[in-house]
Amino acid sequence: MSREASSARKAALKDAMQREKIEVLVLFGNNWHADHLRYATDFGIQEGQGIALVREDGTTTLILDDPAECERARLDGSCETIFAPGLVQEAKRQLARAGNHNIAAAPYHLLPYGLLHGEKDLRVQDGAAIIERLLMTKMEVEIAAVRQAAALADEGYAIFRQAARPGRKDYELVAEMESFFRAKGVPENFMIVGVGGQEVRGMAPPGGKILKAGDMVTTELTPCYDGYYAQICRTLVVGEPSEAQRKAFNVYLEAMIAGIAAVKTGVTAADVARAENDVFRKYGLGDYVTSEYTRVRGHGMGLFPDQKPHILEDVNIRLETGMTLIVHPNTYHPEVGYLVLGDSLVVREDGHELLCGTARELFFNPVQ
Amino acid sequence: MRRGLMAWDQAEVPKSALEQRLAVLRAVMKDEGFDALVLYTNIARGASVWWLTGFTPYWNEGLLHVPAQGEMVFATALSKRVAEWIESVMPAGRVVTTPKPAALISAGLVKDGAKRIGVLELDDFPAGHAKIILETVPGAQLVDATFAFARVRSGSDAVERGLLLKADALARASCAAVELSTPDARAFMAPCETVARLGGAEECFALASTDLGASRAAVRTEAMGALGATFAARISLAYKGAWTRHARSFARDEKLQEAFDAAHARLMNFKPTDMLNLSAVLAKHFEGLGDLVDFTIEQPRGSYPLAAVANHAGAAEGFNPAAPFVLDVELQINGARWLGAHLVGL
Repeated sequence: MSREASSARKAALKDAMQREKIEVLVLFGNNWHADHLRYATDFGIQEGQGIALVREDGTTTLILDDPAECERARLDGSCETIFAPGLVQEAKRQLARAGNHNIAAAPYHLLPYGLLHGEKDLRVQDGAAIIERLLMTKMEVEIAAVRQAAALADEGYAIFRQAARPGRKDYELVAEMESFFRAKGVPENFMIVGVGGQEVRGMAPPGGKILKAGDMVTTELTPCYDGYYAQICRTLVVGEPSEAQRKAFNVYLEAMIAGIAAVKTGVTAADVARAENDVFRKYGLGDYVTSEYTRVRGHGMGLFPDQKPHILEDVNIRLETGMTLIVHPNTYHPEVGYLVLGDSLVVREDGHELLCGTARELFFNPVQ
Repeated sequence: MRRGLMAWDQAEVPKSALEQRLAVLRAVMKDEGFDALVLYTNIARGASVWWLTGFTPYWNEGLLHVPAQGEMVFATALSKRVAEWIESVMPAGRVVTTPKPAALISAGLVKDGAKRIGVLELDDFPAGHAKIILETVPGAQLVDATFAFARVRSGSDAVERGLLLKADALARASCAAVELSTPDARAFMAPCETVARLGGAEECFALASTDLGASRAAVRTEAMGALGATFAARISLAYKGAWTRHARSFARDEKLQEAFDAAHARLMNFKPTDMLNLSAVLAKHFEGLGDLVDFTIEQPRGSYPLAAVANHAGAAEGFNPAAPFVLDVELQINGARWLGAHLVGL
């Protein structure tokens, strides 16, 4: 599937460049923002930084500043790969040699300063118009990879549920997850956790907390398959859930269902967020859908795990067929603490295709 | 994406050690005439901000403003609710969360009247942040501070050595955990991750060269297939922000495995002596066991936790032979490729 998706992306990029009359597209990336590089080269960068120069004829040069990463990239062999400790200077040299005039670059704000400035200034325009839409709206071959990633997220959560037993440390759960995902061929997984009760206001990397009876354990698992990420968010309770925890969970469940029901081609990200938040407002929890308590009510996913559009009431990006999203009304609840619930899906013409199959329930592990 | 244990332990990283580093840096800043220093961080380039604050973002990015005097400010685009957590794991500096870190840093620069602003790795600094600083700070002059920073960072203090000791022990244990009974490279490597994370690794990259007869390149689990007759595990690991690597080769043939083990033991015993003539020193070190094909030396450099600073062609400016380094070696042993990597100089 990797080759198929990669070829389809390259063809789509070439078309977009021709449409915009761009001679060279400069794409920058690192392990945080690996998506632009991956789109053009299929290389999942792990260490250092990289720049891809995509030409109008489709030929691509990948420049990497880490020698071991360069060796790994060369195994693929689908594009010319250059090792250059001076990444920026090498990219400038390549661009100057080609003498191109219409150059675009992305992600523009992260581009190295030295690439845009210097003695021989290059006129480089923001390439967002070319690639952002491609990153957000997936082709079927890309959606197939996201679907696989969602299946891995489901499998992963089953492992997580088993692992979350009283007396265990939060980072021990991560150890189990990572080992499981590596054995399944998953190279990356975005994962944060929360352990405790009313005092917990969000999720973060583990800090050594020991799970005890009554704790809520929240997590979002985000494995990738062929470079494409899918996410699942669930909450479990160590021991029997309290009445307050069950009652709170039902609000999040209703909100997630409302948000997902609002998804279809043509609505905006704001429409989905509003559907989720209206449920909270209905129960007098409107304060808890603000940035004081929550970041987003969902987001896009693809080659980047936290892609546009962000699901917020002030984001008016139109949802298109083929976008892959997670709808998650994750936020702080004043009685029980931070609670999460979210499913990945694909935007379809008249609704959505659900990608996660894990039951939508407040899980719990009995205390012996 | 950092997802292992992230916690601050006063005994491991005392605030006084970070204050000492800051004091040395400020002396250099004064020497260079910098009104302020700005450092960029993200998960791939977190080493410089970690060295000053003890913190690496698990995700997203941030900017550290080091004023000539007063408190350092760490501005990050991570969400507001995360600030409290960052404060609990970042022993130095004040945390401010903002969608526009550069705008916040710029406001501080304006307040301090900063004009000559040192920027670590200016060429690699994100253009979007640079633009905001240049447009917001009247008369701002951005000056590359890479060499200035290297003057204070090229060494390794007792605190860093302490963390590296733990990282090294974890990397070795992780590498030793490989499952040799399986022909499947993914199953071969999966236990490494468990050992590393259970030991408290903040991050672990467990890669394998699955068939050394075909290639020395170490691949991620997504590209792993069946193991060949000879293969290698390569662990890159961070403990509380301190990075190291450890690599070890394996052979299905018992006699070759013995030779591989002997080479590994010899690598572990390497003590840096004549660093000016390292090729010859290494060739002699492995004499009788295998022929030296290639080597690379890595150390922290600027914002990079590990960067190649020396190889057979010579050493780059900034290589400090007195500080710990990762030595990556390729040998030819009885006609087979052998790879090893180890932290040297602790």
